[in-house]
Amino acid sequence: MFMEVILQALRETFPAETIEAQPVPISETFVALSPDCIHRAAQVLVERFDLRHLSTITGQDTGSEIELLYHFWDGGGLTLRTSLPREEPHIATLTDLIPGAAFYEREVSEMLGVTFDGHPDPRPLLLPNDWDKEQLPMKNDQ
Amino acid sequence: MTNEQSIDYPTKRLTDQMTRMTIPIGPQHPALKEPISFLLTVEGERIVESVLRLGYVHRGIERICQNRNYVQNVHVVERICGICSHIHTTTYCQGIEALTGLEVPLRALYLRTLLCELERIHSHLLWLGVLAEDIGFTTIFMYAWRDREIVLDIMEELSGGRVAHAVNVIGGVRIDVDQEQVHSILARLDELERQIETLLGVIQHERTFQVRTRGVGHLSAEQVRRYCVVGPTARASGVDVDLRRDAPYAAYDRLDFQVMTADEGDVWARTLVRVQETIESLHMCRQLLTGLPQGVLTVRAPRRVPPGEVVSRGEAPRGELVYYVRSDGSDRPARVKIRTPTLTTLITLPDQLRGVHTADVPAVLAGVDLCIACADR
Repeated sequence: MFMEVILQALRETFPAETIEAQPVPISETFVALSPDCIHRAAQVLVERFDLRHLSTITGQDTGSEIELLYHFWDGGGLTLRTSLPREEPHIATLTDLIPGAAFYEREVSEMLGVTFDGHPDPRPLLLPNDWDKEQLPMKNDQ
Repeated sequence: MTNEQSIDYPTKRLTDQMTRMTIPIGPQHPALKEPISFLLTVEGERIVESVLRLGYVHRGIERICQNRNYVQNVHVVERICGICSHIHTTTYCQGIEALTGLEVPLRALYLRTLLCELERIHSHLLWLGVLAEDIGFTTIFMYAWRDREIVLDIMEELSGGRVAHAVNVIGGVRIDVDQEQVHSILARLDELERQIETLLGVIQHERTFQVRTRGVGHLSAEQVRRYCVVGPTARASGVDVDLRRDAPYAAYDRLDFQVMTADEGDVWARTLVRVQETIESLHMCRQLLTGLPQGVLTVRAPRRVPPGEVVSRGEAPRGELVYYVRSDGSDRPARVKIRTPTLTTLITLPDQLRGVHTADVPAVLAGVDLCIACADR
């Protein structure tokens, strides 16, 4: 029920987007959005629904694009899904809304080469300082 | 800290006038149990800024998982952590089971949950020992680790392993218990509970312990929510979250238990929450052993997993553990994403360390129960 209210709010915020809920086991709802909408959508979740717990950000290379999944949680899971081009992918940071996203974004950044615009501290998190920036460990062709 | 501020130590006046300097701690350091690096900027005895660096035990587990099949991955994810190995396989297996549509037998779910709770007891007692040693209270360290042996012995008897248990398989568990073992385990749990009650008494009433932990490493409920902190660290700041109750998995929906919280948000509150949780876990183990249903232990799982995605969550000893798995229909996962609870607590450390004495650094670091191997993967 709660999820329906959130979806309705997202539909009102982005009239141009087709917002459909895709149920995913175990208790998750996936919603696909375009990259430009992610920051605004997170703002709606945080400010209107106090849904501030971002479990993690999954970055994956699907072969044709870089996909980001923002897994929110509040008694049930809500995942915002968005796709970025494989060449020079970038998206707005969520750290201004959710400071806890900082490490998740740094990891996605070093593993898949995604730039998070406005990230306060975009250094690598897990890879060594002298790691070749062109080598992206989670990209499929590397 | 209030006690200290009221006393005018000559050395304190001296150190307060000192200029800023930066001290590196780690990646290898006597005060650290696992490799992580901190750069602490101090002004006299007080820390004004800290920067941390991860990655010294990064093994690329997520990538390794993409190159192994689903069955092999059960053993790969078990090796992420040497303390909470079982919750990793539990969360991974329940994800794959949900993706495949497998109905896990009830007896298997009970045994899985039993190991989860035994693991929580062992992890919390290990942590209590580490904290006690770091604040110079070696007696509690000795007692906590001695008592922890009881749980480790039980786990070894059940599974053959003290740390890596290899209990879970996709579709069930590989171990069983007989009635004789149940009686023997119940008797030992009673003994353990008496000893933990004693430890709890010491923690609540011993002044030395209080002075070293009260007001140290404070996190407010607001900070916890801002940084998406999970587990006992969040509960000790008054944020009542626990996946075992909020989104019951395995056999948790059949158990009667309380979620422990405290409001202080300091190392003392974290200790109290964890020790009380340990006692609660003992009660849960008893319920699981006495109510153990009869039946088979596994259902047959296919080698290939149908295409799809799954997000699986479990409450590790340190809090919410998240697995995302994407299948492309082959016998290997296309993506396994693992978010361990420690990653969320690490991000709060600069806030917690600001303003504390250098002598309290080990207490703050131990207080949040870091598992660097989990955070690095």
